[in-house]
Amino acid sequence: MPEATNRLHATRFMPSVVLRIAVLVAAMFAAALLTLAIGQRSDVGLGNLLQLLLVDDGSLARSAVVDLRLPRLLVAGLVGANLALAGLALQAVTRNPLASESVLGINQGAALGVAIGAVMPSLIIVNLDVMAIMGAITAGIITFTIAGGLGGRLDSIRLILAGVTVGAFSFACVRFAFTLEDNLARIVLTWISADISSVSFAQVPALAVAAGLGLVASLFLAHGFNILSLGDGASQGLGLDPRRVRLLGALLAAILTGVSVSAAGPVGFIGLVVPHLSRRWFGHNHRLLVPVVALGGATLVLLADAASKLVRFPFETPLGIICALIGAPYFLYVTLSARRLA
Amino acid sequence: MIFWPVRAGLAAAALFLSASLSFSASALEVKHDLGTTDVPDEPKRIVALEYSFVDSLAAVGVAPVGIADDNDRSRIVPAYTDIIGTDWTSVGTRAAPNLEIIASLQPDLIIADTSRHEPIYEALSEIAPTIAFDSLTGKYDVALESARIIANAVGKSAEMDARLADHEKTMEGFKSEIGDVSDLSIQFLVDNGKGVYLHTPDSYNGSLLAWFGFRSNLKPNGGGTYTDVIAQSSLEQLSEVNPEIILRGKYADPGLTDSWVGQPLYDAIDAVSKGQVFDINAHEWSRLRGVLASEVSGASLVEVMKKVAR
Amino acid sequence: MTIAAQTYSGMRNRRALVLIAVTLVLIVATAIWSIGVGAVAIPADVIINTLFNLDGEKQTYIIMRSRLPRIVLAILCGGAFALSGTIIQAVIRNPLASPGIIGINAGAALFAVSLVTLFPAVPQVFMPLAACAGGLAAAAVVIVTARTRAVSAAHLALIGVAVGFVCEAGVDYFLITSSDAERSAPLIWLTGSLWGRTWGHVEIALLPLTALGGLALLLAHRLDLMGLGAETATGLGIRVPRERMVLLTLAALLASISVAVVGVMGFIGLMAPHIARHLIGGAHRLLMPLSMLVGTLLVLLADGIGRAIAPPIEVSAGILAALIGAPFFVYVMLTTAAERDT
Repeated sequence: MPEATNRLHATRFMPSVVLRIAVLVAAMFAAALLTLAIGQRSDVGLGNLLQLLLVDDGSLARSAVVDLRLPRLLVAGLVGANLALAGLALQAVTRNPLASESVLGINQGAALGVAIGAVMPSLIIVNLDVMAIMGAITAGIITFTIAGGLGGRLDSIRLILAGVTVGAFSFACVRFAFTLEDNLARIVLTWISADISSVSFAQVPALAVAAGLGLVASLFLAHGFNILSLGDGASQGLGLDPRRVRLLGALLAAILTGVSVSAAGPVGFIGLVVPHLSRRWFGHNHRLLVPVVALGGATLVLLADAASKLVRFPFETPLGIICALIGAPYFLYVTLSARRLA
Repeated sequence: MIFWPVRAGLAAAALFLSASLSFSASALEVKHDLGTTDVPDEPKRIVALEYSFVDSLAAVGVAPVGIADDNDRSRIVPAYTDIIGTDWTSVGTRAAPNLEIIASLQPDLIIADTSRHEPIYEALSEIAPTIAFDSLTGKYDVALESARIIANAVGKSAEMDARLADHEKTMEGFKSEIGDVSDLSIQFLVDNGKGVYLHTPDSYNGSLLAWFGFRSNLKPNGGGTYTDVIAQSSLEQLSEVNPEIILRGKYADPGLTDSWVGQPLYDAIDAVSKGQVFDINAHEWSRLRGVLASEVSGASLVEVMKKVAR
Repeated sequence: MTIAAQTYSGMRNRRALVLIAVTLVLIVATAIWSIGVGAVAIPADVIINTLFNLDGEKQTYIIMRSRLPRIVLAILCGGAFALSGTIIQAVIRNPLASPGIIGINAGAALFAVSLVTLFPAVPQVFMPLAACAGGLAAAAVVIVTARTRAVSAAHLALIGVAVGFVCEAGVDYFLITSSDAERSAPLIWLTGSLWGRTWGHVEIALLPLTALGGLALLLAHRLDLMGLGAETATGLGIRVPRERMVLLTLAALLASISVAVVGVMGFIGLMAPHIARHLIGGAHRLLMPLSMLVGTLLVLLADGIGRAIAPPIEVSAGILAALIGAPFFVYVMLTTAAERDT
C-alpha cells in the first residue's frame, strides 16, 4: 500500500519513535497517579499519595489507596490495554479501521445476555458473567453472518452496518427489560454502564493473564496483520495463510473482550479510538503498534476513570458512559474530517 | 292531621335531603399535579397505579378494584390487605400499566403517578377521571399531602383528617421514644448484590429520617440540592460518609456490603465498628410510602434504636 | 422491446400487482384480527356491536379509543418507516442502511430524553416535538455533508453511524444520571411501542405522513436513477448531491415524524425493503408500494401479538417486529451476493 510506505517514510522526519514511546509511558504513569489521587476520601491527596503507597502505616488512608484505588487502577489499566489490543486485532482481521467491539455490536450483545439472565434467572444455570460472554459471542456471530460470513471477502461497510444493527436491536431489548421490574432495571443498568467503583483484587489476575497473553499473541501475529492489509492475494503470495491469521486474530479479540467485559462490563470505543490514534502517531507497522496500543489503551481508560470520579463529585459516573462520551465524538470527528473512508 | 311544627320540620328535612341529593349528583373538582379534574362523588371503582396510593386508600378503608402491583401480588403487604382485602385485579407494572385491563375494570377514578404516567395521562383520562401525584420523587410531607387530597377525592375527608391526626400522634410517639438524635448520623441504603445505593436527604426515606431528627453526613453537591436523589455508591464513598447508623435494605443475599466485611475501610465505618448496621425490610422501606408505610417504618426504627448505645 | 422482454415485464408487473393485492388483503385481515386481541379478548359480535354502534354488549373504550387508534397509527408509521428505509437504502446504496443508520432514531431519542431530564417542568406533551426536532437535527449532519461534499455513499453511512453513537452516548448519560432510573416512559418509547397511543397521536401524524408518503411514492423512479451509481446518474443529468439531499430529507421527515409518535422502531425501515425486494425485485416503482405495505403488515402483526402474548405485560411492537422480521432478514442477507458500493 503506497499510503503505508509513505507513512513509514514520514516517520523518519518526526521525533524518533523511542522518544514518542517514552512520552506515552510517562503519560500512562501520570494518568495512573492522577486516578490514584482522586477519590471521595479527603485524607488522600496528591501530596501524601507516594508516602501512603510506600509506607504501611496501617491508616485508613493507606487502606483506601491500597485496597480500593489500587485494584481499581489496575482493572482500569488492564481493561484499557486488553480492549485496545482486541480492537487492533479486529481492525487487522476485518481490514476495516473502524471496527471495534461496540461498533460490531459485541458489547450490546453482552448487555443483552446479562439482561436475559437477570429477567429469567430460572432458565439460566450459569451466572451473569457467562451470560455476558455468550451474548457477546452470539452478537458477533450474527454480525459476521449478516455481513457476509467469515469465509469470503468481508465487505467493510456491511460489517459496520451489520454491527450497528445488531447492537441497536440488542439495546432495544435491554431497554424493554428495564420496564419489567425495578430492581432488575437497576442491576442491568449498573452492569451495562460498566461501573468499576466496587472492584477488588479478585478481578485483577484474570485481566493480567489475558493482557500478558494478548501482548505476546499480538506480537506473534503482528507480522501476519501487516501482510493481511496487503490483501488476500498478496498474503498468499508471501506464503501466509490469511484465513488462519484471521481466525487467530478474531479469537484473540474475542477472548480479550470477553475477559474485560466479564470483569468490568462493556466499555465501548477504546478498541476504536486507541488503535486509530496510534496509527496516526506511530504508523502502520503492527510490530510497533502492539505495545503502543496497549500502553495507549491503559492511559486512556485511566484518564477516563479519573474523569468518572470527578464529573459529578462525590457521586460516580460509570466508566462506560465516560468512554462513550469520549469515543463517540472522536468517531464522529474522524468520519467528518476524513477525505476518503472505506 | 300532623301537628304543624312537625310538618314544617318534615318539609325542611325534605328540602335538605333533596339539596344534598343534588349535591352528590354533581362532581368534585380536584386539583392535582397535572391539572384540575372533575371527580364523581364517592367513586366506587378506583384504580391505583402506585403503592403510595394504595396506602392512602387503605388509610381510609377504601378498597381499589385495580392496582399496579408489578405483577407480584405479595408486594401489597398484609398491612394493606388486612384492610382492603385481596380481590383487586392486577393492572400490570407501575412502569407500564395495561390500559385495556384498566378499562375493563370500568373504573370511575384513576390515581396515577406524575413522573411515571404523564405520557399516558391523556389515554388514562379517556378511561376515567385521572388525578396524579408525585409519588416516585416526593418526600414525606408531599406523601401526606397527596393522601389528604386523595381522601378528599374519594369523599373521605373527615376519615382522613382523623387518620392523619392519629398518624401524627403515632409518629410523635415514635419520635419521643427514639428521643433526641440530632447528634446521630444515619444512612439508609439499598444493596442489590451488585451495587449499593444511598438515599439522600432529598429522597422519601431521607426526608423521613430527617423528620425524626437524624443528621445526615451527605452534603448537597448541586448548588443546594443533590444531583442524585438515590446515588450509587462505593466503599470509599461510604467510608467517607461514615454514618453512625446504617439501615440496610437488601434485595439480594449475600449483598455487596457482605463482601466488604473484613476490609479495613468497611470495618472502620462508625456504624460497622459499633455493630449498628441494621437490616430492615427493603421492600417496605424503599418502595412503600405513605401514612401506613411510614408508621411501619417508624415502628421498625424504634426497634432499631433500642439496640443503639446512647 | 422484443416480444419476450415485453412478456417478461408484463409478467413482472402482473406478479407485482398480485403481491400487492395479497399484502393488502393480509393487512386488512390482520387489522380485523388485531381489533379482537389483547389483554381483554373480545368476541366477534361485541366487536361488530361496538364498531357499528348497535344494541348489545359493547367495549367502546377498548375498541374505539385504544385499539383502533393503535391500528391506524401502526398502518401509518409502519408504512412511513418502510418508505424511509427504502429511500435511504437507495441513496446510501447499501442493503444495511436504515433510518437508524443515519442517526435519526438516536437523535430523536436524545432530544426527547434530554427534554424529560433537563426540563422536567415542561409537560411531556412536547416530547413528540422534541423527538422530531432531534431526528431531523441528526439527519441534518448527514444531509448537509451530502450536499456540500462529494463523499461516497458509504462515507455518508459512516457519518450517520457516528452521529448515532454520539446521540446514544448522550441518551445513556441522561438515563444513568437522571435522578431515578425508573423514569421509564422514555425507555418504553425508546423501544418503539404503541402503548398509550390515542387519536390525538393519530391527528399529529395523519396529514404529514400521508402527504410525505404520497410524495415518496411519486419520486420512486428517481431512486432507480440513484441506484445506477453517482457517475452514471450525473451522466444522465441528475445533480447527485442535491438529489441525495432532497431524498434524505424526505426520508428523515418520514422517520422523524413516526418516531415522534410511536418511538424508535428502526428495524422496520431495515427489513421491510429487503423482504419486498426479495419478492419483487429492485424496480422502485413497484418496490416502494410493496415495501410500504410490508412495513405496515409487520407493525400491525407485532402490535397485535405484543398485546396478546403475556398480559398484563405488553411487549413493544418495535422489538417484536424486529423479531418477526429477523429470520427472513438473515435468510435474505445470506442468500444475496454482497453488493458493491461506490
